[in-house]
Amino acid sequence: MSIIREHTQATLSDAWRTIDIDALDPDSPANFDTATLHTALPDISEADVRQLTAQVRQLLRGGDAEGALRGCLETPVYATNTGTPAAVAAAAENGSGNELAREAALQTVVEVLQSIKASEMTPMLQRIYGSPGGSECLDVLMKYLYKGMAATSASAGGSGPRTPTRMTPQPTGFSQIGPRPGAATESTGAAMSVLLSWHEKVVEVAGLGCIGRVMTDWRRV
Amino acid sequence: MAPPEVHHLFHNPIADHSFSADRNTLAIARDTTVELYGRAGNAFKLQDELKGHDKTVTSLDIAPNSGRIVSCSQDRNALVWEPTPQGYKPTLVLLRINRAATFVRWSPSETKFAVGSGDRLIAVCYFEQENDWWVSKHLKKPIRSTVTTLAWHPNSVLLAAGSTDAHARVFSSFIKGVDARPDPTAWGERLPFNTVCGEYLNNSAGWVHSVAFSPSGDALAFAAHDSSITVVYPSAPEQPPKAVISINTQLLPFMSLIWNGEAEIIAAGHGCEPYRFNGGIEGWQLSGALEAKALGGSGDQREESALNMFRQMDLKGKVKDDTQLKTTHQNTVTTIRAYETAGDAVRKFSSSGVDGRVVIWNV
Repeated sequence: MSIIREHTQATLSDAWRTIDIDALDPDSPANFDTATLHTALPDISEADVRQLTAQVRQLLRGGDAEGALRGCLETPVYATNTGTPAAVAAAAENGSGNELAREAALQTVVEVLQSIKASEMTPMLQRIYGSPGGSECLDVLMKYLYKGMAATSASAGGSGPRTPTRMTPQPTGFSQIGPRPGAATESTGAAMSVLLSWHEKVVEVAGLGCIGRVMTDWRRV
Repeated sequence: MAPPEVHHLFHNPIADHSFSADRNTLAIARDTTVELYGRAGNAFKLQDELKGHDKTVTSLDIAPNSGRIVSCSQDRNALVWEPTPQGYKPTLVLLRINRAATFVRWSPSETKFAVGSGDRLIAVCYFEQENDWWVSKHLKKPIRSTVTTLAWHPNSVLLAAGSTDAHARVFSSFIKGVDARPDPTAWGERLPFNTVCGEYLNNSAGWVHSVAFSPSGDALAFAAHDSSITVVYPSAPEQPPKAVISINTQLLPFMSLIWNGEAEIIAAGHGCEPYRFNGGIEGWQLSGALEAKALGGSGDQREESALNMFRQMDLKGKVKDDTQLKTTHQNTVTTIRAYETAGDAVRKFSSSGVDGRVVIWNV
């Protein structure tokens, strides 16, 4: 009798159910190092991005919008905080990684996109797609479009709940980057409509495969 | 070009299909059973149901010479169905895996078959005479995730595998006493069991859905979830490959591919129709869809009466019924296989998909 009671006492507590047994198995998918899924990514600092932005602006002023767009798309700033899920979580917690550089790169791309006229979009995309390495360029552009949409919709949400991934570590609370919650909603709406019309044009040129590649790719911008 | 031969068997997904060598028997993996269809004139009629699995059958294969059928299922088992005068007799295979079996193929020699699984390994199975059962040896080493697809090299020793860890790999599955020592190839010279002869990653690290050796065995093609096809030409053992050619397409991802000679690949998948790729070691390109679009649209050209048109506009808010795809398959194509070959060239191939159709195409 007592044995039975002891047994039920021990099993009634369900603490053992919450042990993450996958974490204890070195071969388990939970310890999968996603950094093995791509070649080493270049570490581009924020200063490099600023320099690139300056060059891109110069091209824009010179009227070479296509060169400016290609310039941004050929050196995408990928997230460097990849690796095992545990490593990614740790990096997100202590604010390492190149979050700031990535945000700045996104701003540059959006700036270029906004400065290109609607009638020029399709011919320009077709020229880029037809050139060597053009398919990869448009994949990168698509990644920036989705990231841009996520950023504008998060900021348009204002005081709404924001996902932790969208919070950039900025201890001063000062943001140098683009339209933030304080900014007027019209500007985020305008930014979104620019991104949406680009999205439509990119799908026309690069097909649905392009969206699929953005979703599968481990190299995040 | 003659129109494809379409067999709409039922309204369930077909996980895999296989024709017997005389092409009169068609085996279909449907839910938890293997269904055998026999050719009766122009149609296929259900003849036999092989019940032995208690979860979804994921893959099956008929050995062309012996007529044995191997099937594998999410219930972690594989069964070899031996043809006897009293019908098919199942034999359980000792797979020793604790996740679903995902894919199975006979080796060209028919003395072995390989089973891919969610247990991050491939079970290479062979018949053990003294114990009178099928046993397995595990290819385990660098596989990090579920094995989704397998393909045999013509020499029955090399085995290509695609996995959800985004790698396509080439292994040696040499088993002493079963295999004769293979001739050296560009993939390797000495090939003890579990030698990794090649490991290839696609650009975006998408899941690998299908792998295939070229007819000579000197090139490997694989399709991945980033809508790409990659063709690898090995140079020599332990050396980097001569060429790795990757083609990103504008289409939806491909689920299955076959070679037609050394210079053509036919692939089909989420786009619901087969596509042709042409090329060689200097480069590959997409040549276009195999299907002439006007054929698929024949149902649309029905003459509409004015009454019918306005009724449609009133009921559905549109004139044409656009629930039909213009392709022969109405859903994802999951498997394509060579149906009729002449040497290395494929004359006809068959495809099956989620829409319950088996289609035989003229190349």
